[in-house]
Amino acid sequence: MVTCTGCALLCDDIEAIVENNRIKETRNACRRGAARMKGCVNRLVPSIDQQPTDIESSIRKTVDIIKNARSIMLFGWNNSTCEAQAKGIRLAKKLNAVIDDTSSFCQGLLIERILQKKLRTCSLDDIRNKADVLVYWGSDAQDSQPRHLSRFSYFPRGESRQRGYEEDRKAIAIDVRESNTAKICKGHFYRIPLKGDREFILALIEALSGKVPVYDTKKMLELAGILKKAEFGAIFVGIGLTYSIKEDFDILIALAEKLPNFNIMPMVGHYNMRGFNEALFKETGFVNRVKFEKEAIHDDKYSIMESLIEKNIDAIMIVGSDPLASLPRPILKDLASIPVVCIDPCISMTSKIATVTIPCAVTGVESGGTAIRMDGKLIRLSKIITSGYMPDEEIMDRLLEAIS
Amino acid sequence: MVTVMELYQLLPRTNCKKCGESTCMAFAVALLGRKKNVAACTPLLEVNFKPQKEKLESLLLPSAGAEETGLIVHPELCTGCGNCVVACPVDVANDPHGAGMGCAPTNDKVIFKVVDGKVIASNIKECRRFGKSRVLCYACIDPCPTGAIEFV
Amino acid sequence: MSMDIGKFLKSPEYEIKITTYRDIFQAEAMERDRFGEEYKMFSAAISISKIDMQKMGLKTKDRVRISNSHGSIIVEAKEAKKDEPGGLAFMVNSPWSNSLVSGDTQGKGIPEFKNINAKISLSKEEITTLETLIDTFTRKSITV
Repeated sequence: MVTCTGCALLCDDIEAIVENNRIKETRNACRRGAARMKGCVNRLVPSIDQQPTDIESSIRKTVDIIKNARSIMLFGWNNSTCEAQAKGIRLAKKLNAVIDDTSSFCQGLLIERILQKKLRTCSLDDIRNKADVLVYWGSDAQDSQPRHLSRFSYFPRGESRQRGYEEDRKAIAIDVRESNTAKICKGHFYRIPLKGDREFILALIEALSGKVPVYDTKKMLELAGILKKAEFGAIFVGIGLTYSIKEDFDILIALAEKLPNFNIMPMVGHYNMRGFNEALFKETGFVNRVKFEKEAIHDDKYSIMESLIEKNIDAIMIVGSDPLASLPRPILKDLASIPVVCIDPCISMTSKIATVTIPCAVTGVESGGTAIRMDGKLIRLSKIITSGYMPDEEIMDRLLEAIS
Repeated sequence: MVTVMELYQLLPRTNCKKCGESTCMAFAVALLGRKKNVAACTPLLEVNFKPQKEKLESLLLPSAGAEETGLIVHPELCTGCGNCVVACPVDVANDPHGAGMGCAPTNDKVIFKVVDGKVIASNIKECRRFGKSRVLCYACIDPCPTGAIEFV
Repeated sequence: MSMDIGKFLKSPEYEIKITTYRDIFQAEAMERDRFGEEYKMFSAAISISKIDMQKMGLKTKDRVRISNSHGSIIVEAKEAKKDEPGGLAFMVNSPWSNSLVSGDTQGKGIPEFKNINAKISLSKEEITTLETLIDTFTRKSITV
C-alpha cells in the first residue's frame, strides 16, 4: 500500500503496480490521484535564464540569488514533505527571509484558527465512526477531495454508524452552485447568492438561538432543526466559504459556538498545506506570512500578494507551486520582474519565466517522507520508483550547506 | 436510462404478434430486458418505419457493452471517487472491514473496484439485480455524482 | 465587391458575474500536462445558465471575449448542465479565470478569485492560449 499525494486526504490505501520502474496501474486512487501518480509529460530541466544547464550550476546560481537578495521570499511548500518544509523554514531563518505558502490566499485563515484552538475540530476517523450530520459548505469535495465522502464522511460504515448512509447520516450542501457534492446531498442543498455566506450564517445563528430568522425562514428553521438534532456533526469548510467571509472570518467562530456538537474540518487542497502551517505555527505562532529578523514578525504585508504589490521583496524562491498560474494577472508582472528560482518536478507557467529552475523528484512517487492530512494526522509517503531526481528536502540541504 | 414507454412509442403499436409476443408493450419489455432484438419486429423493417427503427437501435446501443445485469460503467464520466464501491450492499456484505468501511477492498469478492482512477465492475453475478431473487437495486447509481453508472 | 458588414458590427456586450470552481477532470489534465490541449479545453471555458445564454443570444461552442480592467480572454461558452437559476456564470479556476481577478486585496492578501465582474461578447477570435497568457509577462516584454 502506498500514499497518494493528489490532495490533502493523503489516501494511504493505494496499490501501485510498477513495471520497468514506472507506475503502470493504480488501484483505489481517484482519477486525479491516478494521473498524479503516473506523472506529468513535461519534466522540468535545470536552466539558468531559460537556457538548459546542469543541476549543479542551477544550485550554484540559486545560492548566488538567495545570498545576494536584500529581501528574499521563500514561497510554495504545499507540495513538499514535512522534512523539506522544516528545512525550508530553517533556510528562511538563516537568510532573514520572508516565508509564505499558498495557504496565504487559500485556507490559511481557517487553519490558523484551528491551530489556535479557536475552532473545535476532530479527526477524519472520528467522522467515519461517529458523524451523523455532515455539512459541506463552499466545498465541492467530490471534485477537490474526491474520496472524502466514500472514505470518511457519508458512505462508510463506522463504529456507531453501522446501518448505511441512508439511515445513519445526513449530508447537507451549502453553496452558490449545485456542485457534484450538492448533487449527492439530495434534498439538503441550500443555494446561496455569491458572497451570501455571512448573511446565511447570521440567519442560521438566529434560528439556532430560537429566533425567527429573516432569511428564507422556512428553509433556515429546517436546517437549524437538523443541526440541533445532530449527535456528532461536522462542517467541512471549503474555500468557497473561506473566501466569502474573509473580511469577517470570526463569524464562523460565533456559529461554531452555537453548535456544540459540531467540529470544523478544513477542506485542504494541496497535500501538505496543513503540514507547512503546523510547522511554521510551532516555530513562530503563525501559519504563514512571516518575516524572520531577530524574531519572527507576522504581517499581512508579508503575504505573497502584498509583498509583490508593495515591491518589498527583491527575489523569490518558489518550491512546488505555480503562482504564475494561481495569482491574479495584474500582479504577475511584479513577480516576473524579480529573480525567480523555481523548484518543481514539472514544467509550469512559473518555470517558463524563472531565472533558475531546479527539477526535483515527485514526492510520494520518487521520494518518501511524511505529510499532514487535512485533519492533522501524520501520514507516511512512499517512494515507489527510483529516479535520478533530487528530493526537495535534499535541495534544501544543499542550500543550507552553501549558505552556512 | 431508457424506459419501456420510450421504446413502446417507437413501435408500430398494432399488436400484430409477429415478433412472438402478444402485444407491442410486451415486446418493448422484452427489448429492454435484452430478450428480443429489434429485428424480431418485422413491420419495423418497412421503409416508413426507418426513423423509428434507427432510434430504437440507438437507444438500445449502450447495451452492447453491458453486463448480464444490464450494468454499464461509462469510464469517461467516472471520477474514481469510490462512492459506489462503498455504498454497494454486496461490497459491504462481502468486505465489511475493507470496502464497507470506506477503505480499499481487501478481497476479490467485491463488485466495484477503482483501477487507474475509474471504476470497473466484476463479480457481476453477485449483483442484487442478478439471479432468481433479483431486486431493482439503485445503490451504486444514487451515490454517483456524474451519472457514470447505469442499468440498461 | 461586397462588404462583410458583420465585420464592422460590434457584437453586443453584456455584464456578467463569474465565480470559479474546481473540476476533477481539469485537475487530472493539469497533473498530466499544464500546457496540454485537454487542460486548455477545461479551463478556457465559461458555463452559463440556459436563461442567460438565451438572453445574450449565445449557444454552446460559441467563442466569447470576457474582459474587465484586469484582463481580457477568449474562451468557449457552454450551457450549464445543471439547472442554474441564472445571474451567475462559472469558470474552472485557472490562469484564464485569474486573468480577470483584481490584484487589489485591500491589504489583506486574499484576492477575490471567486467574485469576478466582467463584460462578455461574442467573438470570432481564437481561444486564448496559455502561451499568450505567459508572453505578456516574459522578461523580454518587460525590459522592452
